[in-house]
Amino acid sequence: MTAVVAGLGMTELGRVYGPSPRKFAAEAVRRAVADAGMNLEDLDGLLVSHGMGGSPSIELADVLGLRDLRLLSQMTSYGATAGAMISYAAMSVLSGAATAVACVFADAPLKPQQSAGAAYDRSAREYFGYGGMNAAHGFRSVNAYYALATQRHMARYGTTSEQLGAIAVSTRQWATMNPLAQMREPITLEDHQNSRWVVEPLHLLDCCLVSNGAVAVIVTSADRAADLAQPPVHLWGWGQGHPGERRERGGEFGLVTGAVSSGATAMKMAGVTVSEIDMCQLYDCYTFTTLVSLEDYGFCAKGEGGAFAASGALAPGGNLPVNTGGGQLSAYYMWGMTPVSEAIIQARGQGGERQVARNDVILVSGNGGLLDHHATLIFSPHAKGA
Amino acid sequence: MEFNTLRRDGRTDAFFDGAATGTLLIGRCADCGHWHAPDVTGCHECGGERLDWAQARGTGILVTWATLHPRNGGEPAQLALVELEEGPWLYARLDAVTAPRENLALQAHFLPQPEGEPYLVFRPS
Repeated sequence: MTAVVAGLGMTELGRVYGPSPRKFAAEAVRRAVADAGMNLEDLDGLLVSHGMGGSPSIELADVLGLRDLRLLSQMTSYGATAGAMISYAAMSVLSGAATAVACVFADAPLKPQQSAGAAYDRSAREYFGYGGMNAAHGFRSVNAYYALATQRHMARYGTTSEQLGAIAVSTRQWATMNPLAQMREPITLEDHQNSRWVVEPLHLLDCCLVSNGAVAVIVTSADRAADLAQPPVHLWGWGQGHPGERRERGGEFGLVTGAVSSGATAMKMAGVTVSEIDMCQLYDCYTFTTLVSLEDYGFCAKGEGGAFAASGALAPGGNLPVNTGGGQLSAYYMWGMTPVSEAIIQARGQGGERQVARNDVILVSGNGGLLDHHATLIFSPHAKGA
Repeated sequence: MEFNTLRRDGRTDAFFDGAATGTLLIGRCADCGHWHAPDVTGCHECGGERLDWAQARGTGILVTWATLHPRNGGEPAQLALVELEEGPWLYARLDAVTAPRENLALQAHFLPQPEGEPYLVFRPS
């Protein structure tokens, strides 16, 4: 028996202001169930995660009117949560603890009269204590910390802003072909270089979008999915990596991430090596996250992520299509559900104009904290070993 | 450099007592002596629960940096991650560093403010 994703539900995503995160989440679960050709009563498991808003939690089961669930939890591993939820759902299905589990992420940090950056900003007139000094210095959102990580990689390996720009450009190329993407106008390397500094060395076009909305998936067994509405997407492997990187002498912040162990675990379980991965859907909160993840998974040597990205390999027509829906940089920011949703679309062959011909093995990443938490999933349209 | 007002929080006041006299106080494990950043609350080296405030030399090296460009066109500020000679990494600002590079030797300074507590910055040593 193998676990599969049988349903995908996505609400309207982006600058959508009416619904609360809870309402978005309920809608995504309903859509995922309908997409699978199931009914809400068929669910016996629900795993819930939220973003900045702190909602929803397990009360979502009541909102949806779900009864007699055998699995119900709120989960968080920050940006690695989607991978964590789906692997827990798969294990529950494989062990017999549940038969059909919905996994959902929802967030609505955007307000109508607020910039996207302000949704994640912690500016204040006064700051308190030693911890407050960091914010007072200017460490007011993750942008500053990721800028430090990026700069360290640049100083150590010679990675350039233009190489990061190549990732922004190729990701946008994919987004131009995705009707779900928020940003579909093509950009050039010059546009990237001319975009304002968020925190140097990160330009605006190195940073992801902020989106309101929700995404849900239904995990069940391959047997159960056989007579459902959608082609099943088989989950071949999963893994997590939480290096516990310390901020002290010897720390590898900005140089190496949990993708190393997470990827090795998932690929070993799936019985594949990096050379067999056809495409990647990577958590791209920043262009740098894509770059360092590619290195840590072993698609290129450590320090060569910049040259690899600049080679055109990630773009349409390249050897390793990456973030084929436009990722978090250009499509929508649903934390780990952004790469998961595009992987499902590609595995089903439903990518339309952007569909990648070779979709047999798809690697999905999740990244959370300041490159502290990592999850990997390996998806395929085929049953493992078939 | 422009700073917002920084005030004490009742938990890390010793740090600011030290800052007032130009002394950098950080955490040190009462059990194993491992040094920690001032906001660390337990020793990850030995599991010890008690950290004392202890005087650091104030010298260190640059791990990495980033530059804030104010949207209003104000003067850019350099953020930094600094490795103290004792081992811990501190987030701070750089002052008077024209050519940042990995391992640049630095010295801690405190910048008094018209209101509130002084700020920790690092200058080339």
